[in-house]
Amino acid sequence: MTPSCGRRSELHEPLSVDERCLRLNADDGSAGTLLGMRCVECGVTVFGPATFCQSCSSPRLEQIDLATEGTLYSYTIVRVPPSGWPGPVPYVLGEVELPEGPHVLAEVIDCAHDALRVGMPMTLALRPVAMPEVPDSERVVYKWRPA
Amino acid sequence: MTQFRPGRDVYVVGVGLHSFGRFPEQTLSDLARDAVVDALRDSGVPWTAIPVAYFGHVYYHGMSVGETTLAQLGLTGVPIINVENACSSGSTAFWQAYWGITSGVFDMALAFGAEKVPGGPVTVTAENSPARYIGGDHMMAGYALRMTRYMEETGAPASAFAQVTVKARQNASMNPYAHRKDTYSVEDVLNSRLIADPLTLYQCCPTSEGGAAAVLCAGDALDAHGIDRSRAIRIAAAALTSGNYNGRGSDHSAFSPYRTEPAALQAYEMAGIGPEDVDIVQVHDAATIGELQQVEALHIFPYGEAWQATVEGRTALTGDVPVNTDGGLLAMGHPFGATGIRQVHETVTQLRGEAGPRQVENPRVGVAQCSGAGDVTTVHILTR
Ligand SMILES: [Zn+2]
Repeated sequence: MTPSCGRRSELHEPLSVDERCLRLNADDGSAGTLLGMRCVECGVTVFGPATFCQSCSSPRLEQIDLATEGTLYSYTIVRVPPSGWPGPVPYVLGEVELPEGPHVLAEVIDCAHDALRVGMPMTLALRPVAMPEVPDSERVVYKWRPA
Repeated sequence: MTQFRPGRDVYVVGVGLHSFGRFPEQTLSDLARDAVVDALRDSGVPWTAIPVAYFGHVYYHGMSVGETTLAQLGLTGVPIINVENACSSGSTAFWQAYWGITSGVFDMALAFGAEKVPGGPVTVTAENSPARYIGGDHMMAGYALRMTRYMEETGAPASAFAQVTVKARQNASMNPYAHRKDTYSVEDVLNSRLIADPLTLYQCCPTSEGGAAAVLCAGDALDAHGIDRSRAIRIAAAALTSGNYNGRGSDHSAFSPYRTEPAALQAYEMAGIGPEDVDIVQVHDAATIGELQQVEALHIFPYGEAWQATVEGRTALTGDVPVNTDGGLLAMGHPFGATGIRQVHETVTQLRGEAGPRQVENPRVGVAQCSGAGDVTTVHILTR
């Protein structure tokens, strides 16, 4: 099943799947940046929102832009999707390790199954995804593809 | 961060189960009540002598199910606490029962758990969560990610994982309470359909329902309650932890074994023993990779070597450290509220020497480990 995409995003501002994790560029909603929170005290960085540091509990966190490239820490080809999955089946789920430390789970696209390798370089890709038969459900979702 | 101060010795004096499987005709209360009645009968203690009860379950079946279940046994007015702690809900109820007694508040306690579960892949986030767009909220995919990585780091072949299931089914074939009792060959396991590569169907636990219960009693109250000391099994440690940042906080995989290690070390310290003293082990094997990584996290085998130990038969009933002697989650399924207490049931049964055809030879120390979403981990150590 292919998500219906296109028309709405031409009429409306594209929406991030989760603006605490993915900030879309103001001038081009098909591009954006993954967001992390870095601890000013101990340097530990997490993907997505945080109020206190996971490691030292400091409240002194700063939001940072995470790298758009990382390496494939692990992967799986999901044959039985979770309920509500709006994409194709099977799909590849990748766990990508970013240079700042966090691991980010997302679909891996544009890669043949037999080309998947632990350690391969990956780059961020953004794609519009809508929930089938759910009005106004289109969101820009972060994915990985081979660098 | 050691913050425990156990007081009185505590024993498990009764264990009970409702069979594990699918029971469309039975309610959550039915499953729970049957296990409780079984455990009380095993202990010889009447319900009217129980001063407190803790009930583990996750899926919502109305409020205060612990109370309405035990009301069927008589309205005694005791405190009854409903516990939700993901996959460790049952083992958390057991942990609370232990601490309620060792601290001196109660002489006895009942820990019980049950679950009615929907079919299909388990998700942990809400229906409208952004996770549904991402595709990563998938328990078995989480295990598959860990399996891919483990194979890469250790060189473990797919057949070693399949052997975990083969062993689980052999053990379960001798367990009348098990959901899945058919035995499989390594080829059967590897040829079953793929769920999330490289995990095949027979390497994932079935979705099962069931109930489990345990009666606990203070050592100094055993005689007053007329309990047979020869069948009482001592709780040497009861540890419960949540996520513990240990430099690997960005590990995304569900049930990371990195979370088990702190609970294991705490339990060994509390029991005054080490992993080399352990005779039998029950771990959270929701998938084959789970068993391998959890026994490593418990330091039963060095990192990366559990697969080899499994292939060599060291974790079989006849091996030097039998693991998941009743079939584990792979054959019993994983009714969240029941699993942790089911592990206690099996450990107690083995330490008593009452496990029948699947009895391990003369075990004296048993470990039960359970972990769940939210990085909830329990490690309990029982000794004879
Ligand atoms: Zn910090």
